[in-house]
Amino acid sequence: MENHSLVGLSRQIAVSRELDVVANNIANVNTTGYKSSNTVFHEFLMPGARSNQFRGGDRLVSFVQDRATWTDFSQGSVQPTGNPLDVAISGNAFLTVQTPRGERYTRNGALQINSQGQLVTSEGLQVVGTSGPIAFQPNDRDISIGIDGTISVREGQNTTDAQRGKLKLASFAAPRLLQKDGTSTYTAPAGVTAQEPSPDAKVTQGAIEKSNVNSVTEMTRMVEITRTYTQIAQILQNHSDMRRTALDKLSEVPTS
Amino acid sequence: MRALHTAATGMKAQELNVQVISNNIANMRTTGYKRQRAEFQDLLYEHVRRVGTQTSDQGNQLPAGIELGAGVKTVGTPRLMTQGSLVQTGKDYDVAIRGEGFFQITLPDGRTAYSRDGSFELDSQGRIVTAQGNVVNPGLTLPQNATSVTINAQGQVSAAVPGNTTPSVIGQIQLAMFINKAGLQGIGDNLYLETPASGAPQVGNPNQDSFGNLQQGNLEQANVEAVSEISDLIAAQRAYEMNAKVITATDQMLQSTSQMLR
Repeated sequence: MENHSLVGLSRQIAVSRELDVVANNIANVNTTGYKSSNTVFHEFLMPGARSNQFRGGDRLVSFVQDRATWTDFSQGSVQPTGNPLDVAISGNAFLTVQTPRGERYTRNGALQINSQGQLVTSEGLQVVGTSGPIAFQPNDRDISIGIDGTISVREGQNTTDAQRGKLKLASFAAPRLLQKDGTSTYTAPAGVTAQEPSPDAKVTQGAIEKSNVNSVTEMTRMVEITRTYTQIAQILQNHSDMRRTALDKLSEVPTS
Repeated sequence: MRALHTAATGMKAQELNVQVISNNIANMRTTGYKRQRAEFQDLLYEHVRRVGTQTSDQGNQLPAGIELGAGVKTVGTPRLMTQGSLVQTGKDYDVAIRGEGFFQITLPDGRTAYSRDGSFELDSQGRIVTAQGNVVNPGLTLPQNATSVTINAQGQVSAAVPGNTTPSVIGQIQLAMFINKAGLQGIGDNLYLETPASGAPQVGNPNQDSFGNLQQGNLEQANVEAVSEISDLIAAQRAYEMNAKVITATDQMLQSTSQMLR
């Protein structure tokens, strides 16, 4: 195979992987608290035997490599739901949840109460408070969640508020280092530690944060991907035609 | 290509979303109906290059890895148990709960179901029953000659009998409360059943402790808001279309690949 086929192939592989990322974004366009992923490409220069000393020396062949995906942690739009157990977080902060594999972080604030009265995510993972799990009494009513995550209720016929804990918000100096876990949670890899919530972090009760996927951008990217892919396929096709014509012409034996 | 399957999960999720929304809209005028909401989460990720991997002896680290997601999944369709607005009907046996609590209904097989629908009737024996004829717990029987019935905010049922100046107390309607009312299982007919997720019911008199009070001559309407349902429906439909477009795009790419070979 010649270089042009390999260069084309490298681009096609990269582009089809970008489509996978775009497809995942579009599939999660309605997922609460989802943050969109993006791809980064870089040029990969072919190493190996070549000589640059001659005049008009060998040109370096460059390939495309998909180097990374990064998560766009920008704010998603906040949709009011009127449900007292829905919280939307704005700013650089995550809810901390307890999973069987340790603490994880999420922006999905569609919370619920389980049969033990504990505050859990829609998957049943316990929401961690600043002082342990958050649990409600059976006769608690009028749950209210403050701007800093403080949870207060009215117990029975009491007219004064009772505290039920405070949501443990976690901020990260570099959220891009977080790893997507699926199930709307993020893992902090080794060396990345959660810090006190940043001052811009704010909890809004009765609303959820929608996915931050911008459908127009994703559709545009998808058109670009399809066009690039077909274009390269066309180029490869042309090259192969050229080669075939060359072979045909060169193999013609003069009759005279 | 993975994108095909990813888009398929998106289409399935949005189809379910439309189903949930259409059920909400269909039950917009159902007494005591509580709307549901489809909750989605992203599926698994394949970490092709893991973020933070050491890339040299000097301890350089990858600032970002490659994560490829596999789409979306539905985690549940929880009910939003918020109060519906009360509408006055003037009917004696219409009762609405203002606040927490469920009516206890005895099913024909002896189980107890729970309901927010208080559009009750009398059966031939003078018992207070639901519109389906199930007895409201604890079975209260009105005297045959009762002229009017009063259900007060505390759930006390009293009937006026001709010849008697003071109405006689017949019984007490009790309500049940759950720690996780969203965990109740809907069985249709405006009824819910207790589940391990909901916890055990706590029974008490209305207007006491955290229980809500009863409003005779009122019914609780569904808590469905037409505007938010319609806007959710539009969002779901567009998301479905976009996922379909991803499938078309993938198909085009595969087609151009297969055409390369002649």
